[in-house]
Amino acid sequence: MNESQHLLASNEAATTEHQAVEATTATAEHSAAPANEANAHVTEAHAEAHDVPPAEVFTHLFSELGDHHGIVLFGHVADLPLIFVDNGKVDFYTSEHSMEAAGTYTMHKGHPVKKVDSNPPQLDLSVTNYVFFQWVAMLLIFVVMRLVVGKYKKNPKKAPSGLQNAIEALVVYMRDTVVYANIPVKRAADRLLPYFLTVFFFILTVNLLGMVPGGHTATSSLSVTGALAIIAFFVINVTAVQEAGVGAWFKHLLGGAPIGLAPIMIVVEVLGLFVKPFALAMRLFANMSAGHMILLVLMGLIFFFKSIWVAPASVLFALFINCLELLVIFLQAYIFTTLTAVFTGLAIGDHAHGEEHAHH
Amino acid sequence: MGTMTNAAFAWLAAGLGAGIAVIGAGIGIGQLVAAALEAASRQPESAGDLRTTMIIGAALIEGVALIALIICFLLAFKVA
Repeated sequence: MNESQHLLASNEAATTEHQAVEATTATAEHSAAPANEANAHVTEAHAEAHDVPPAEVFTHLFSELGDHHGIVLFGHVADLPLIFVDNGKVDFYTSEHSMEAAGTYTMHKGHPVKKVDSNPPQLDLSVTNYVFFQWVAMLLIFVVMRLVVGKYKKNPKKAPSGLQNAIEALVVYMRDTVVYANIPVKRAADRLLPYFLTVFFFILTVNLLGMVPGGHTATSSLSVTGALAIIAFFVINVTAVQEAGVGAWFKHLLGGAPIGLAPIMIVVEVLGLFVKPFALAMRLFANMSAGHMILLVLMGLIFFFKSIWVAPASVLFALFINCLELLVIFLQAYIFTTLTAVFTGLAIGDHAHGEEHAHH
Repeated sequence: MGTMTNAAFAWLAAGLGAGIAVIGAGIGIGQLVAAALEAASRQPESAGDLRTTMIIGAALIEGVALIALIICFLLAFKVA
């Protein structure tokens, strides 16, 4: 705090020089004088400086990056609705302002809480920016896929071109190198193919929407990646039980070790059941939020040093990180799908009911 | 400055932990890619299969590093 005020003040004209001194003395007093008095001094110094300290710019941008109730489209802020369910009562507000005006709920550290006991509502079904951009992604996938399917139906004999070609390349690549290559049973692979393609295109689209100006990356929320991982958990284990049988599923908890090692192996393998989807969720979440955080820090350097000479280095490095981000977007969508397919194949194992093996 | 508080120790631990975890993951992925490249240069026709296996291995190593980083994040945020 002390340092940021110094930085701020030293860049201002000479008239503000004494304010910096005042600000430092105010913060120095902070330790000695009663807290509220010292705070009053500090806020006074801020008001005179007529500026937001760099540290606060950073926290503001940081909160913009996260989950919140509004999106910015072409420079205009669009409010998103807030929906709470508490004790069987449903509350609907069109924006944070109308929520504050109604008086039942208030915002505390970026989260809505009840005014009476400052607890969060039992169920928060608000349409946040992440939810909104997931809907955009779903709509986009639906429209694009419908267009492509329509083209196939119109001229089934014609060679694909344009968008149809791009989608076909991705679909065939995922089918041959990810699903068929990793799931040994052809019947299971065919049945799961729509799931894998949906997951791949959903993650890819959600990630890519984060690169659009004004867009947000929903996969940088642990709730979104966690939901995807829970679905993956059920896909892996239900497929294993269907294809290899309940007995084989329990047997694979032994990990092929002699029965004497059961007490250790069962603990390890049961842990492994949950660690796999957990790592899937964490990997996607960490990769997608790290890129945006690096961009934010690089841009924050300009605000922090308040110097034009930092800008070229910051912007060039941010451009490089953006290109890297594009690679990471495709890689993470691919990795999530591939690892789910690999885990499904491993869970089925060699116990499949005399099925012919698709690819080896 | 002055004496170190518990929060200060936790932040120090989080920073050091993140650094050490990244060293481990770096060595792991480095060895993995080196081996894959060597194999691909000896037998270029298997490069496609190797790449897929390499990416899966890299993702698993990265997963371990990420779990370590999550512990560091918890240390840094929960203690504050």
